[in-house]
Amino acid sequence: MPVYKTPFNGYSVKFSPFYENQLAVATAQNFGILGNGRLHVLQLGPTVTERASFDTADGVYDLCWSESHDSLIVAAIADGSLKIYDLSLPPAANPIRSLHEHARECHGVDFNTVRKDSFLSASWDDTVKLWTVDRPASVRTFKEHAYCVYSAAWNPRHADVFASASGDCTARIWDVREPGSTMILPAHEFEILSCDWNKYDDCIIATASVDKSIKVWDVRNYRVPVAVLNGHGYAVRKVKFSPHRGSVIASCSYDMTVCLWDYMVEDALITRYDHHTEFAVGVDMSVLVEGLLASTGWDELVYVWQHGTDPRAV
Amino acid sequence: MAMRDLVSGGAACAVPGSSSSSNPLGALANALIGSSSKTQERLREIPTATATTSDGNLYAGVGEPFTAALPGSELEHALYPNAQGSEFLQGFRSMDQNRFSDAWDDIQNPQSHFIQPMNGPTNFNGPPQRVLSNFLHSFLHSGQGSAPFGPTSLPVLGLSEGDKQCIRDRSSIMARHLFADKSEDFIHAQVNALLSSLDIDGDIRARGPIPGRSPELEDYWNESQGMKPGPHGADGWVSEFTQHQVPRDDPNMWIQSFERQHGANGWASEFEHEQSQLVSVDQMRGSNIPSLAAMEQTRMLAHTLAQNNDPKFQNSKFLQFVSKMSRGEIGIEDNQFKPAAFSAPGNWATEYEQQYSGGRSWADQFSNEQLSHGPHGWANEFAAERELHGGTENEWVNEFSKLNVNDWSEEFERQVADGVLGDGSADNWANAYDEYLDEQASLKQKSDSSRGVYVFSDLNPYVGHPNPLKEGQELFRRGLLSEAVLALEAEVLKNPDNSEGWRLLGVAHAENDDDQQAIAAMMRAQEVDPANLEVLLALGVSHTNELEQAAALKYLYSWLRQHPKYGAIASPDQPENLYYADVARLYNDAAKLSPDDADVHIVLGVLYNLSREYDKAIEAFQTALKLKPRDYSLWNKLGATQANSVQSADAILAYQQALDLKPNYVRAWANMGISYANQGMYEDSIRYYVRALAMNPKADNAWQYLRISLSCASRNDMLEACDSRNLDFLQKEFPL
Repeated sequence: MPVYKTPFNGYSVKFSPFYENQLAVATAQNFGILGNGRLHVLQLGPTVTERASFDTADGVYDLCWSESHDSLIVAAIADGSLKIYDLSLPPAANPIRSLHEHARECHGVDFNTVRKDSFLSASWDDTVKLWTVDRPASVRTFKEHAYCVYSAAWNPRHADVFASASGDCTARIWDVREPGSTMILPAHEFEILSCDWNKYDDCIIATASVDKSIKVWDVRNYRVPVAVLNGHGYAVRKVKFSPHRGSVIASCSYDMTVCLWDYMVEDALITRYDHHTEFAVGVDMSVLVEGLLASTGWDELVYVWQHGTDPRAV
Repeated sequence: MAMRDLVSGGAACAVPGSSSSSNPLGALANALIGSSSKTQERLREIPTATATTSDGNLYAGVGEPFTAALPGSELEHALYPNAQGSEFLQGFRSMDQNRFSDAWDDIQNPQSHFIQPMNGPTNFNGPPQRVLSNFLHSFLHSGQGSAPFGPTSLPVLGLSEGDKQCIRDRSSIMARHLFADKSEDFIHAQVNALLSSLDIDGDIRARGPIPGRSPELEDYWNESQGMKPGPHGADGWVSEFTQHQVPRDDPNMWIQSFERQHGANGWASEFEHEQSQLVSVDQMRGSNIPSLAAMEQTRMLAHTLAQNNDPKFQNSKFLQFVSKMSRGEIGIEDNQFKPAAFSAPGNWATEYEQQYSGGRSWADQFSNEQLSHGPHGWANEFAAERELHGGTENEWVNEFSKLNVNDWSEEFERQVADGVLGDGSADNWANAYDEYLDEQASLKQKSDSSRGVYVFSDLNPYVGHPNPLKEGQELFRRGLLSEAVLALEAEVLKNPDNSEGWRLLGVAHAENDDDQQAIAAMMRAQEVDPANLEVLLALGVSHTNELEQAAALKYLYSWLRQHPKYGAIASPDQPENLYYADVARLYNDAAKLSPDDADVHIVLGVLYNLSREYDKAIEAFQTALKLKPRDYSLWNKLGATQANSVQSADAILAYQQALDLKPNYVRAWANMGISYANQGMYEDSIRYYVRALAMNPKADNAWQYLRISLSCASRNDMLEACDSRNLDFLQKEFPL
């Protein structure tokens, strides 16, 4: 399957929810410590071609595609801003919005998949903010976490419910109609870097932590995790539920590998892909093509492959 | 349907995400949101953004302005309980009312339920305890003074304050991801080491660590039990306080959290300002960690990272980046990392110039200081003095700025000797100058010895001694290591080709806890006598202590090859790259060949230390001890290994054995202190450090360990005695 080389270090990769052959990659120079960033939009074919790219003054840490407009992408920038790009416009007209409210690095964005009207941003300023594409200012700020918030994820069924993962070692469940968080999940003993909801069971959430584990939780009974997935050798950077199989989870880690898990079975690790030569920090599963995976890492490579095949095989 | 059902998976929520009125949530959404048409209109205002078919029926049946009605938007300004939401909340709570206390217990004692992946065999590759402490020091040290003489910025870097802040914060946050099982101090030190090589103050305003969890959890719990709406006055205050409580031992963090609560305009920022002023005053006094040393630290960090045996890690560009940075090969310009035109290692003068020239010559520094000190202190005195002396000093200053760096010190000396400056007023000057010279000397020492150049002591009373070797051996036997070092130095100055003199000198340094000098001396010994087994073994051990795996393997391999019994095992032509596994295998073969050779077991123990297989290392040393029960250094090795594998209590027993055999074994005394400190027994550790220092006051490491233990034991009253190295006072206060 195709490989694409980005000039900067990869930070995040996401398939378009509209076109099976499109994906976008967030990258940052110097491992995101200092320097510029670039957002790539890639077209999959026999080879990977770049459809567009946008430069930013600081690293791009994450991105999400709009669920309502096939050409809109929201990017989370290390300078704390969120930038909205419209692919149907020439580069000069982009970004069409720059929303600067976060006091520190923006590390995660997620577009609402139910009502498809809003998105969340998670920031190192310890807050999560709720935005709509058409408003110049955030709708709400959720400030409860005591340390960096690394990611926020909408519940796939309830338009107002989302989860956030933070370095304060908790994940929190929120309902935007509520003043505060609805639930606090002291999920790990170490920082939590990512969380995601099961796409088939709206009460199941997975958290990924610096403690090298992924834990799966049922929010109805969160005292004990439903499953603990051990196998990564370093901090787990991202976790993602499969859009096609309820019990399948993809993850990537500072141990440079991408793993696929089935948390329902005892021997949970399905496959380990070790194609990256630096920290693997971005992974996604296509909603439109079952089994199609994408990953990126600090080796400046974007891999797209079918589950079960070797990502490096051309 | 109540939210409770939703949460507990009631059948009614089976219609995912639809807004149809059959779904209560959807209905609610409809009622609350309204307005899809309006939304789409607004979205179309964004140039050519096209709505796709996929969201066609999303906002069906609506009319009101979208933005005002987005759920939750009202909460930004006015917080009021929402009936639906409360029910939702209730849903979570009602599940398990009876078991709250159990749950609380679980949270308090997470071991009982939470799976502890960290307990298993860990892949984290940190340096052993001793190195960790070294890192800890450098951080503490730099916390007091930070960076070298002209630390504000290297002119070539051109980093803005913002850039520095960025590098500082981001590397801190990332380091915490990588070194999760290490202490915050360790992480801080790691980052600091990285930053110092870029000449960035790492410790001033870096993003603080994760706040302590347990006090917070109490809050969470109260919250989730619905106790929040209770009396908001005092309780609220208390809980707020708890929530913002942070570990107290880090003043910077505390300031930070204060600032976060009260804004940057509070006294915290003022304090910070003052603090940074203090720091800069310190820097001017020259009581700073030299940046070469910092670079050395980064080199260690790179090494630490490179310890991971996974070839992928060895090839990682990120790690190479870190290690390049550590070697000063990467600088930053215009917001970008660039390879720097740094001097080749070994050229001390160039390096010196690079650090101190570039528009910041000493004379410049002087005039700056004069400005910043204003009417205070010695500058004032000096100025007054200058008036007295009329034009002489003006000339002097002028001359100064013209002088080359290498010349002015002589010039200064000459002038001092000529008495141009006068007596009393020149004292401050002279002191500052002396300090500076000392710093220079120690810098030189560090930079040289790290390259294997042996640095001789000044003013050696044993020079001219008829038989310094004999004297040195005798002093060594009596455990007067510092004296022995001097005598042996006199010996090798007299007979540079005396391998035994160099070897013993190396051993003395190793026992005195100075591996760099030990390596330098041993390398000279090896030059003279390449086949000396003791020397090869010692070099292997010292390099292991310094975490230099490749070098350690090289010498251990040579040991095997030179050994009459095992020479046949090792292939005669040494492979280009030695792999740990190969060397370990060869030694295992050797151990099978002659299981009664203690040396082989010792090397095996050292090798297992390199690979951090501490259990195997302990076993190997124990075997060796059965064969050589009176080898005190072997007991010390066993102790150090046990300490590294977190068996500090056992380690103390082993060190005790070493000390019983050799009561003035400085290294064992200091190691003993470390083991006590590791167990949190700081008072005890202090006594051992003081004892070690009484025997070798030059053991800089031990002074730093002592300082840490004093702080940890809340004996801040003794810090001054420590800083002024007042041993008498310390020994009275902490008798053993």
